[in-house]
Amino acid sequence: MKPTPDAAVTAEKLREQIAAQFGRSLHIRTLDTGSCAVCEQEIRLLAAPHYDLHRLGFFFTPAPRHADLLLVTGPMVRAFELAARKAYEAMPGPKVVVATGACALGGVYRADPFVHGEVEAVLPVDVWIPGCPPSPLALLHGLGVAVGRLAEKTPGLTFIAADEIPGDGA
Amino acid sequence: MPVWFVRGLRRGVVTTRYPARPDSSAASLPTPPAFRPRELTCELVDRMIAVCPGPALRRSDKTLVFDAGACTACGWCARVAPGAVASSGEFELAATDRSALVKTIPILGEQQ
Repeated sequence: MKPTPDAAVTAEKLREQIAAQFGRSLHIRTLDTGSCAVCEQEIRLLAAPHYDLHRLGFFFTPAPRHADLLLVTGPMVRAFELAARKAYEAMPGPKVVVATGACALGGVYRADPFVHGEVEAVLPVDVWIPGCPPSPLALLHGLGVAVGRLAEKTPGLTFIAADEIPGDGA
Repeated sequence: MPVWFVRGLRRGVVTTRYPARPDSSAASLPTPPAFRPRELTCELVDRMIAVCPGPALRRSDKTLVFDAGACTACGWCARVAPGAVASSGEFELAATDRSALVKTIPILGEQQ
């Protein structure tokens, strides 16, 4: 779906509001939609002393009603669709949905009778964090991007080896 | 008094920026591939697509379409084409636009 100009303006406003409100205080609810639990292990490491998520003002919360950000892992199994929608609807706005890991981004499971294949099929995703699993550093960067504290690097990447310049002779 | 508390008082900083210092574990992380366009041929790319366990690689005529979001950094493409694929070293790939994760790489190698 292409955003209309009005929607783009609203999105920009919402992004500013999110940066202002969530920048130093963000409550995260993790949602496992059929992941293999390795993403969860990496997420759990964020709260460990080495990464110490709390120093950034980010906290995990056990209820979506207290959450600002929904950290969704897994390929969105169809059995979980209703629960995922309910969790999203229970969150107060403005809310951010982050698809975490290759499964959630549609990289591992194709759509079939049991899974949607990606989180985007059910929930409106705002930030995508690739990786199988995304390392705690990648998750921290993703959360920083979600609240507008860190710049995303992806648009500048080419995935062409540094020793080769594209289209240079050959 | 704990050492970190005294250190915090002396520096006047109790929290650290992200990342406080380069993380030593970052160098050993598996990362998505970086391609060498001049070493890639259509035949080689097709072989890489065949071994890729996910939908991360796709070929469209003379371009390789790489979806970094779908890549699990398993390294199979690098095993098939060690000369044409290296590790990118990039893992901070969070994007606010899904299509920003899909990259096109020209295939510039000579056809055998």
